[in-house]
Amino acid sequence: MDVELTEILEALCQHAPFNEIADDPQLNDMTKEIEIQYVRAGEWVIAPSALNNTLFFIRSGAIEVLSKENKLIRRMNEGELFGYFSLLRGGKSSQSMRTIEDSLLYRIPARWFLKLYEENDAFSDFFQLAREVRLRVAMDSQSSDVSLMTCPVVSLLRRPPISADISSDILTSAQIMAEHRVSSLLITENDELIGIVTDRDLRTRAVAKGLAYDTSVADIMTRDPIVMDSGDYASEAVLKMMERNVHHIPIVKNGRPIGVVSTGDIIQKESHGSVYLISDIYKQTSIEGLKSISRKMTHTFTHLVVADANTQMIGNAMSHIGTAFVKRLLQLAEEKFGPPPVPYCFIALGSQAREEQTIKTDQDNALILSDKYDKQLHGEYFEALTDWVCRHLDDCGYDLCSGDIMASNPRWRQPLSVWKDNFSEWIQKPKAEALLRLSIFFDLRGIYGDKTLAKQLNQHIRQEAKQHSGFLTFMARNANQRKPPLGFFRQFVLDGEGKQSRTFNLKERGIAPIIDIVRVHALACGSDKLNTLERIEDIDAAGLLPDGRAKDLALALEMIGMVRIRHQKEQIEAGEEPNNHVNPENLSSFEKRHLRDAFHIVSRQQEFIKFRYAGKRS
Amino acid sequence: MSKPLKDKAKEEMQDWQVMFAEWANEAPEGPLKRFYQAGMIAPETALRDTPLLALDLETTGLDPSKDEIISLGLIPLNHQIIRCQGAQYWMAKPERSLNAESVTIHEITHSELAEAPPLHAILDDILVALTHQVVVVHCVAIERQFLLEAAMKVYGYPLYFPVIDTMDIERQVTFKPWWKRFGRQPSLRLDACRQRYKLPRYKAHHALTDALSSAELLQAQIAHHMDPNAAISRYWV
Repeated sequence: MDVELTEILEALCQHAPFNEIADDPQLNDMTKEIEIQYVRAGEWVIAPSALNNTLFFIRSGAIEVLSKENKLIRRMNEGELFGYFSLLRGGKSSQSMRTIEDSLLYRIPARWFLKLYEENDAFSDFFQLAREVRLRVAMDSQSSDVSLMTCPVVSLLRRPPISADISSDILTSAQIMAEHRVSSLLITENDELIGIVTDRDLRTRAVAKGLAYDTSVADIMTRDPIVMDSGDYASEAVLKMMERNVHHIPIVKNGRPIGVVSTGDIIQKESHGSVYLISDIYKQTSIEGLKSISRKMTHTFTHLVVADANTQMIGNAMSHIGTAFVKRLLQLAEEKFGPPPVPYCFIALGSQAREEQTIKTDQDNALILSDKYDKQLHGEYFEALTDWVCRHLDDCGYDLCSGDIMASNPRWRQPLSVWKDNFSEWIQKPKAEALLRLSIFFDLRGIYGDKTLAKQLNQHIRQEAKQHSGFLTFMARNANQRKPPLGFFRQFVLDGEGKQSRTFNLKERGIAPIIDIVRVHALACGSDKLNTLERIEDIDAAGLLPDGRAKDLALALEMIGMVRIRHQKEQIEAGEEPNNHVNPENLSSFEKRHLRDAFHIVSRQQEFIKFRYAGKRS
Repeated sequence: MSKPLKDKAKEEMQDWQVMFAEWANEAPEGPLKRFYQAGMIAPETALRDTPLLALDLETTGLDPSKDEIISLGLIPLNHQIIRCQGAQYWMAKPERSLNAESVTIHEITHSELAEAPPLHAILDDILVALTHQVVVVHCVAIERQFLLEAAMKVYGYPLYFPVIDTMDIERQVTFKPWWKRFGRQPSLRLDACRQRYKLPRYKAHHALTDALSSAELLQAQIAHHMDPNAAISRYWV
């Protein structure tokens, strides 16, 4: 009698890639050759450097994947497959697999995997994509230096810093530089970095001025040079060089210089369009010029996606570009309307403040004025200035904010003391409705003008938020407003009506909820960070979340963000306006599965903050 | 659940090898005699070296003297691996007609059974499959008794074989003396046992699925409570 192991076949066909080839009659023959294995928690399934000849299917339980260096790469649950990577490479496994729960595993013979891989495109596509993503993960975990966008600045350093004491004269300094064949020299006093001298300084500030050889180096050096932290991305160094027009940036670790990055190092490393785009922005003297650059932005964006930049890097680059537009426009505005009568700070809100901008964003900004501001005297100037800037930002592709949260709105153009009062009011007497609209103000970054104004305001916000736990309760409740699209049966639930009825909004239902959750925790632990990933680090350090949960949030954000970015890139390539509406039918089963996992994380974390900041019940 | 299984007292220990030899002499000529003549493994054989065969029956009712076997599923395993490749499944047409109640339990319909051969036509094949195997069942009383009755009817001589009973193993590892009990004893139903080991839930009452079910349960029990190096006599009944 024909034997059908329906229970096994059905379990397989609920998951990718088998669900896509469920009508293949060979599958029934395959199940007949499956072996089933029960493995207790904590045991090796594929031990380090062991050979593997099996495709594993997790029927129940969970597995963790470890790299050669024994670092955790990822976790896998029910319905996921592993072992195929080594099957495609003749059995050699670069990763090892261990159970983290009691697990029931189906062992599918290699022969069947290779047969289906060969014969069935839907089947092999699944593993191709999985391989790409895993390669990316592997690359990230090694911090490989494939591109400026993904490598830390420290990877550009080629030697320890060359330095001279402040007591040195110009001649000695030049001799040290010549001896070591470097184009810059760090100047120290009691071993502390206090300045930098470059080839250009020797040329323009010493030789051209005819200074004597015994002139103190202190006379020609640049004091308190711009420095960067060793953990910063190389691309940020480039951006900073362009922005400040410097060619050398000392890199410090724990306050001590560990080397110097020069433009030469960067050029050697091959670079991407975005950094040049920024330097172009600063060279423009007309709106027309800026507009023509803004049209290149989509190209820069797709270039970054193709170059395999992660969402953090893309967000960072897009935000810096956005900030460059704002700054250049303000510089031009100040030329047009004259210097400001009182100090002010132009602030970015929301994604730009968090440095998480994507290709298509509205402008969200505001203005903090010095308390010396007098409406009678100065009102007109700032009205004209902000109107002009916001209007031209719109011309450059940053659409006017539909909620009118812009510096051109007098309500959001206030002296520091009024801002402080506003925030005190919002925090001390929170109203759920109002806070929903205002949450964007809790991501606030000064980008032009007197940035101490923004700094003071942020400090004020942190202090107030810490003292008023009731406020956090409201924020936590608001962070629960937008639910990830997970239905009762773990299916996707789709949004909306009409044209977009088959789609859901990745930003609204995935990314924004994570940002909201993280913001609540960040306010609770008094973090002064704005970027979501940096906030997550602070939250993790403060121990607000159970072990591993902070990392889960970061992963979920990256996963959803990546799907969004790829979706937008495809829209751009198809000549469409990029948006956040994704049709699940266009997602690969791999993306679906990971999105679903990510949404589950969001959902659980939403539950968690509800209780964490439950507050007093009335 | 971490309690090790107790060693059996010496007098309790059964030597199926010796018993099979005796029955091989007594049994009438035919398939059943050949089954016993093929012998059984020695009682000191390690669990890890024991050929195991998970078995489940569906019947028309619960009384072995009146009710009949309508399907039988088998799946081979050892202490580490269940092999789907050797899975077998038979349906058997009962001599009396099915009552409506048992049909709903098994999801086997009259028409399916009407086309199946009678049990006596397939029992020879089943004996071949059982040859030299230690059988794994959940609740030894039912399966062994039904097969014994069937053999009596067909061959005029009883069929008997060693069994590892996953229900009995579970009873031993979950047993608590009355003074330590709080409330009821844990359930020993197959599904409840499986849940204790975080095994997936299956639709019950298909002979092959249930055989797979108890095979997986035994894997979990071995991983948690049993010693693969121990003699099989410690576990078989």
